[in-house]
Amino acid sequence: MKLLKNLLKSPMFVFGISLLLLTIILAVFGSSIFTVTMDRVGQQYAAPHGKYFLGLDDLGRDYVSLMIRGLQSSLYVGLLAGVIATVIGTFVGIYGGFKGGWVDDLLNMFTNIFIVIPSFVILILISSSFSEGRSLTLIGIIIGLTTWSWTARAVRAQSSAIKTKDHIILAKLNGANTVKIILVHILPYLASYVFMVFILQVASGILSEASISMIGLGPLDTVSLGTILNQAKNTGALGDGVWWAFIPATVVITVIVFALYLINTSMEGVFNPRLRK
Amino acid sequence: MKKVLKLKGFIAGALLCGLISCQSGSGSKGESSGGGSMFPRSKTLYLAGSQWGDPSTFNPLAEAWQSSWPVRDQFNLMYEPLLVYNSIDGKVEPCLGTLVSKDADSIVVDINPAAKWSDGKQVTSTDVKFIFEIGRRFKSASTAFAAEFVSGINVQTVDNAGVKTERCSFLVDKKGRNNPLVVLDLLQSIRIVPSHIFEKMLADNNNDLGAVLKFKMDSLPVVSGPYTLQTYSNEKIIIKRRADYWGNAALHGGKLPVPEFIIHPIFKSNDHFAIALQKGELDASQTFIPRIWLKKKDGVATWHESAPYFVSGVLPLLLINTTKPPLNDKNFRRAMAAAINYDDIKELAVSGYSPFKQPGLIMNSGVEGKFFNADDAKEFGVTYSLENAKKILADGGYKSVYKADGTLDYMTDKKGTKLPTLSVKSPAGWSDWEAMVTLAVKGLRDAGIDAREGFVDASLYWPALPSGDFDLIMHKPASSVTPSLPWSRFEAVMSSRNWVPVGGDNKMNENQGRYNSPKSKEYNSKVDSLLKAIPTIQDSAAMTAAYRELNKIFMQDQPALPLCYLPEQFYEFSTAHWKNWPTEANPYAPPLLPWIGASTKILWQLQLAK
Amino acid sequence: MLKKYPTLRYILQRGGWYFITFIIAVTINFFLPRLGNNNPVDIIMGKASSGLSTEAAREKEESYLVEFGLVKKVKGEIVRDELGRPVKSSSFEQFVNYIKMCFMGDFGTSFQKYPKKVLDVILDAVPWTIALQLPTIIFGWIIGNVLGVLAAYRRGIFDRVFFPSAMLLSSIPFFVFGMLLVYCFAVVWGVFPAMGGYAGDLVPSFSWAFFSSAGYHYILPFFSIFLCLAGGQAIGMRSMGIYELGTDYIKYAQWLGLKGNRILGYIFRNAMLPQLTGLALSLGTMISGALITEMIFSYPGLGMAMLTAIQNNDYPVIQGGTLIITVSVLIANFTVDILIGFLDPRVKAGLQMGKGN
Repeated sequence: MKLLKNLLKSPMFVFGISLLLLTIILAVFGSSIFTVTMDRVGQQYAAPHGKYFLGLDDLGRDYVSLMIRGLQSSLYVGLLAGVIATVIGTFVGIYGGFKGGWVDDLLNMFTNIFIVIPSFVILILISSSFSEGRSLTLIGIIIGLTTWSWTARAVRAQSSAIKTKDHIILAKLNGANTVKIILVHILPYLASYVFMVFILQVASGILSEASISMIGLGPLDTVSLGTILNQAKNTGALGDGVWWAFIPATVVITVIVFALYLINTSMEGVFNPRLRK
Repeated sequence: MKKVLKLKGFIAGALLCGLISCQSGSGSKGESSGGGSMFPRSKTLYLAGSQWGDPSTFNPLAEAWQSSWPVRDQFNLMYEPLLVYNSIDGKVEPCLGTLVSKDADSIVVDINPAAKWSDGKQVTSTDVKFIFEIGRRFKSASTAFAAEFVSGINVQTVDNAGVKTERCSFLVDKKGRNNPLVVLDLLQSIRIVPSHIFEKMLADNNNDLGAVLKFKMDSLPVVSGPYTLQTYSNEKIIIKRRADYWGNAALHGGKLPVPEFIIHPIFKSNDHFAIALQKGELDASQTFIPRIWLKKKDGVATWHESAPYFVSGVLPLLLINTTKPPLNDKNFRRAMAAAINYDDIKELAVSGYSPFKQPGLIMNSGVEGKFFNADDAKEFGVTYSLENAKKILADGGYKSVYKADGTLDYMTDKKGTKLPTLSVKSPAGWSDWEAMVTLAVKGLRDAGIDAREGFVDASLYWPALPSGDFDLIMHKPASSVTPSLPWSRFEAVMSSRNWVPVGGDNKMNENQGRYNSPKSKEYNSKVDSLLKAIPTIQDSAAMTAAYRELNKIFMQDQPALPLCYLPEQFYEFSTAHWKNWPTEANPYAPPLLPWIGASTKILWQLQLAK
Repeated sequence: MLKKYPTLRYILQRGGWYFITFIIAVTINFFLPRLGNNNPVDIIMGKASSGLSTEAAREKEESYLVEFGLVKKVKGEIVRDELGRPVKSSSFEQFVNYIKMCFMGDFGTSFQKYPKKVLDVILDAVPWTIALQLPTIIFGWIIGNVLGVLAAYRRGIFDRVFFPSAMLLSSIPFFVFGMLLVYCFAVVWGVFPAMGGYAGDLVPSFSWAFFSSAGYHYILPFFSIFLCLAGGQAIGMRSMGIYELGTDYIKYAQWLGLKGNRILGYIFRNAMLPQLTGLALSLGTMISGALITEMIFSYPGLGMAMLTAIQNNDYPVIQGGTLIITVSVLIANFTVDILIGFLDPRVKAGLQMGKGN
C-alpha cells in the first residue's frame, strides 16, 4: 500500500514502531527469554548483580520478572482502555457530528457528563461494589469509559466537517439510512484519523493506569508498571537511593508512550503532507 | 513574538532568583523561615505520625476517630488521665491521681490536691465522676462503656500529711463484667474533663449531648495538662506550653517542659516522615519507616541500637473464620501456622523490627514475658516447617491438586470434595500489612494450601471484620500496651461472651472469627471461664497457671495465625536538634513519643543538641 | 424575538444544555456513592467498635445514623423495625433532603470530620488546589503554545532538537518526574524543600515571610507539572501551527512580504482555538487533577480531601466536592463555547446566518 510505503520512509515512524515492537516482543516472549519467578531470590532491595541485572525488590523478588509481568499488565490495560475509549468516542463523535442539531447537543451533554465526574471517583465506587476488588480488566474498562470524551470531540469536529462533502450528500439523497452512511462512507474516510486517535488513547490509558496505581487504586491482584512505582514510593525506596525500584519502570513507561507518540506524529505527517519535511 | 517570549522568560527567571535569594538568608536547610519566626527552632519540638486527616474537633467528649491530636486516645498533653502506665517496668505512675491500692473489688486512687484546671479551679471528684459515669446519662457517650465496668465511685476526704485529699474508690462491677484489670486500663486511658464547663454546656443545650459535641472547643479550652492549643490548620497543629501547669511543681520538681512549642505537621504520604526525619525537620515520628538503620548517619535513632530496633508490644495476626470448612478443622489451621515463613515476614515485611516470634498469644518479652512458658511453646506450639505442614495436611486427608505447569490448582478434603480458594483479606495501601499477607499466602501455597491475597479498600475491610465476612483477615487486637495485657489479647481473639453466627446483621466486636461456638458440641467452656477468672485473680502464681492453660488451648486450637511482633509505636527520633531521648541504654521512660502514657516526662528531660 | 439576537439565542441554548448537564451530574454524584453496600456508619463502627459490648455498639451505631441523617423519621420520631432497630431512610428521601438543604445554603456536615461542615472542608482545600494548578496550567499553556508555534514556524535545527525532546518530556509520567525532582533537589542537594505548602513553623498570614516561604515551597511542584504540560501543549500547537502555515492565506501573507512576527500572530490566533478548548478542559478538571502532586508534596488540596472522603464513604464531602468539580468544568466549558463563538469568525458568521450550532 502506498500509505505504508510512505510511512516507512519516515524515520520517526520506523523508530517508533521498532520501539513498540520491542516492548511487545518483551511482553509476549519475555517469560521464555528470561526466567520469570515471583519467588524470593535474595536480600531486600539487593542492588543489580549477576543475572538479576535490575536488582531485587523489597520482598527480595527479581525486578526483571516483575517488569515483564508489569509490562504485560500495562500493555493489556492500555489496549483495553484504548479500544473501549476509541470505540465509544468514535461512534458518539461521528453520530453527533453527522446528525447535528439537537442530537448533537444531546450527545455533547452526554460527553460533558463524563468529563465532569472524576475518574477516580467512579473507579473507587465501582470497584468497592465488587467483592473481589479491583482487577486489571476492571481498571481497563473504567479508564476506557472515562477517557473517551476528547476522542468524541475530536472525531465530532472531523465528522461535521465531512458531512458537507459531496459523496455524503449524494448517499443521503440516495436514501441511505444513517447507520449505513456512517459505516460505509464516513468511517472509512476517517479511518486513518481514528487510528491515530486510538494510538493516543492507548498511550493515555497506560499513563492513566500508572497514575491510578500511584494513588493506591491500582489492580490488587497483579503486578503492573504502576504498582511497581507505587511500591517504590510506599516503601521509601526513593529516600534510600534505591534507584532500581523506580527508574526501570519509569523508563519502560516513557519508552512505550514515546514510541506511541512518535508513531502518531509520523502518521500525522504522512496523512497531512504539509506536516512532512 | 520572539521578543515577547524573551521578556516573559526574563521575568520568570528574575522572579525565581528573587524567591531563592529570599531563602538564602534562612538558617537550617529548607524548613524554618529564619530568625523572625514565631516558633524558633531551639524552642520547638516537631513530632508527627498521630494526625493524618484534617483536624476537625478538639472536643474531649468526641469519639476517638473524630477528634484530633492531642485530644484523642491516650494523649495527655492537654487533658490528663488519673494514672499512667509504664510499659517497660509495668508500674503504674501518678498523673492527676495516685494509685493507693487495688484488689478484685475496687481500685483506690487519690486525686492530687495540687491538680488544677487552667481557669484556676481545682480538679475534683466531681470531674472524675462526670466522665466515668456519663454513660448512665447518655448511652452513646464516648466513655459510656466505663459504666459497664465501674459500678460506682465512692469519695472520701482523707488527711494526707496535712493536706486534704479526695480519695476515690472505683468499685468493680461484680454483677456485670467483674473485671478489675479493665478498670485499671480505664484509669489510665480515660481523660478527665472539666465538668463545670461541660455541665454548663449541657444545661445551655437542652441536655443534648449531640449538640455539645458540635462544639470544636478549639479556642482557649479549659485544660489541666502541660500544653494548650495555640493554633491549627489542615497542615499542622501547634500547641504551646502552659507556664501555670500544676504538674510542673507537683510532679517535676518545679521544672518546665523544655520545648515551648510542639508542632505536629500533617503529612500526606509515608515517605515524607522519613525524609523529614533525615533532614532534621522532624524530631520524632511513630510511622513505619523501613530500613531505619540506613538513616543512622543522619542522626535518626531508635530504642535499640541494633535489630530489632523497637520494643515489641502488639501482635498482628490473621483471624480465621472458624465456621467455614476447611477452616473449622483445627489441624488444618495448625497446618497453616506451620506453612508460614515467619523469618521472611520478619526480615522482608517489617525490616527486621520483630524479634523471633514464638507460638501462642503471649510474647516472650516485656512485662507479659513472665507469663510465657518456653516448654509449652515447644510442646504444643507450631513453628515454621513446610514438611510438618504437608504432613499435617496429609494426615487429615487433604490433597493438593496441581496444574500441568506445576502451579497449585485447588485442594480436596478427605471426602474428595473440592475446597474453595481461601481469600486473605487485608486493606490495600498499608505496605507492611500487604507484605505480610503476600508472604503468608506464598507460604501457604508452597505447602499446597489454596489461598490468595484479597486486598480490598479500607471501606470494605472495616465492616468485614465485625460481620465475619472473611476467610482469613488481618487484624491487630489490643493495639495499645495497657495493664490488662495479655488478657485483653486473649479476650479479643477467643472470647465467646457475645457469640453470634456469621450472617444477616450479626456483628461481633471480639473473636470475629467466631471461634468456640457455645452452641456447638465441641464448645470448650474452659476458655470462657478462664477469661472470666483471670482479671480477678490476685495471686501471681495462680495467674501464671491460668495464662499457661489459656495459651496452651490457643496453641492447640490455633484460632488465629500470629505473624510477628510489632511495637506499640514505632519510636524513632532525630538527634539533630534535641538529645537525651530515652533508649535501651537510658530507659527513663517507655519507648513512646512524648505525648502519651508515661513517656510524657520526656518533655522535661530533653536537651538541646547544640 | 430571540431570532433577532442570534448571539443571545446561542448563549441561552448553550446555557440550557449545560444546566441540564449540571442537574444530571449532581444526581449521579449523589446516587453513585450510595450504590455500594458500604454504609459509612459500618466503616466507622468497624474501626471503632472493638471491645464494645453488643448493646453499647448498637447504641453507638444508632446515634451515628441519627446524627448523619440516615434514618427514616416520621414527625421527628425514629421509625423502627420489628427488632427495634432504626430503619434507614432510602436514597431518594436523602436526595430530597439534600436538595432542600442546598437551597438553604447548607451543604451538609462531613461524617468523617464531624462536626466540620462540608463547605469548610472544601473552602479549606480549594485554595491549595487552585494555587498549585492554576499558575502551572496557565504558564504551561502559554509557554508551551508559544514554543510550539515557534517550532512550527522556524523548523530547522530548533525544531529537530526541540520537538523530540518535548515529546519525550510529555511521555514521562509527571509524578515520577516530581518524585525525581524531590529526590535530586530536596533530599540529595537540599536546595528546595521536599514537602509542604510553606515552612513548618509558619502559619498562613498576609506577611512577606509567609508568601516567600510559600513561593519557595512552590518551585518543585510547579516544575514537576509545568514541564510535562508545556511539552504536551507544544506538540499540539506545533501540529496546528504547521497546518496553518500551509494554508493559502498564510502563503499569501508571506508573498506580500509581511513580517515574521505578524504572520506568527495570525497563526497563533487561528491555531489557538482548539487549544483553548483543551485549556478550558484542563482548568475545569484541575480540581481533581492535582491529586498525585498533592500526595507527593503534601499539599492539603481538594484531591486529597476527595480521596479520603471516597475511601470512607463520606457522602456529604463527596457530594460537595463533585459539585464543585461539576460546576467548574461546566463553567469552563461554557465560557470557552461562548468565547469561541466570539473569537472564531466562522462560528460568528454561522450565527448571523441563523445556522446556530
